[in-house]
Amino acid sequence: MKWATRSAIHIDRAACAWLIRRHVDADAEFVFVADSAGVPTDATPFDMRGVDLSHHHGDCSFETILRRYEITDPVLWRIAEIIHEADLDDERYNAPEAPGLDVTLRALSMVCTDEETLACTSRIFDGLYEYYRRATLLGREPA
Amino acid sequence: MVVVLVWCAGAVCREVLGVVMARSSDPAGTGQWVLLSYRLPREPSTPRITVWRKLKRLGVAQLGDGLIALPADARTREQLDWIAEEIAEAGGTATVWLAQPATLAQERDLATAMAAARAEEYSKVADQATAANALPDTERERTVRRLRDELRRIHRRDYFPPSERDTARIAVENLAAPHTGAHAAKARR
Repeated sequence: MKWATRSAIHIDRAACAWLIRRHVDADAEFVFVADSAGVPTDATPFDMRGVDLSHHHGDCSFETILRRYEITDPVLWRIAEIIHEADLDDERYNAPEAPGLDVTLRALSMVCTDEETLACTSRIFDGLYEYYRRATLLGREPA
Repeated sequence: MVVVLVWCAGAVCREVLGVVMARSSDPAGTGQWVLLSYRLPREPSTPRITVWRKLKRLGVAQLGDGLIALPADARTREQLDWIAEEIAEAGGTATVWLAQPATLAQERDLATAMAAARAEEYSKVADQATAANALPDTERERTVRRLRDELRRIHRRDYFPPSERDTARIAVENLAAPHTGAHAAKARR
């Protein structure tokens, strides 16, 4: 399936793309557009104004996708808190990791194309998933 | 002293007091701003308050009733887009605009007012840091953590850094390391 989002991706879009490929559509193909008018008709748009898989009622797009696809994995919801704070910084959650991840993504986007950023961050999110999976099992931060 | 910072597609020159923006690509020489024009029903009041808190957190300049502005960059544009979306979902109307002040003087007034608002916030932090010097170690450490968080929040909405920024940073760092802080702060200048 084809998925479309705004170009010059940042934390929420990078995390959404990873989430879509990992948990929604393993064969997902991503298209980056400058404006919502440029979304191909056969693509599902996300993290753009006026589309369903986007910010709603204070949620970031990552949280919206989790809700729409009824994903209840507590590890993904823990990651959602970090993405939310890195993206919106509204202190809805306590996520001290967020400012660091936000800077990492901003920095990456300065030296990477959107495709490269996706490739890079997909491994970062794989790692974060494993980290918080272990943390959930252990009930404390893994070594 | 003139510090040149990259901002948007142009350059911002910061003077010690006033803020002058230089942009050669257009006749007025002003920078690009992102504006949010919005209306929200008076009741229920919760969405109004939520939106207002979010705008305050972003350090917006209030241009009029339901009209606010921020210097345009990828982050500010996106943040205002999402707030516009939230306003629409709460039954209001909102449009996001890109605009340039027609004169440099107008832009300078806007930037000066924004810098003054941040200066006041930084001064409060500096005062609290100075007052906390007399506290016992554990309370002082707690205050350092709280004030560092506060500085980070102010920093995020500080588009035209006033000199109070350094004063506040030094006051908090001195509180963190009372015996070496003053020395270190001097060395950094």
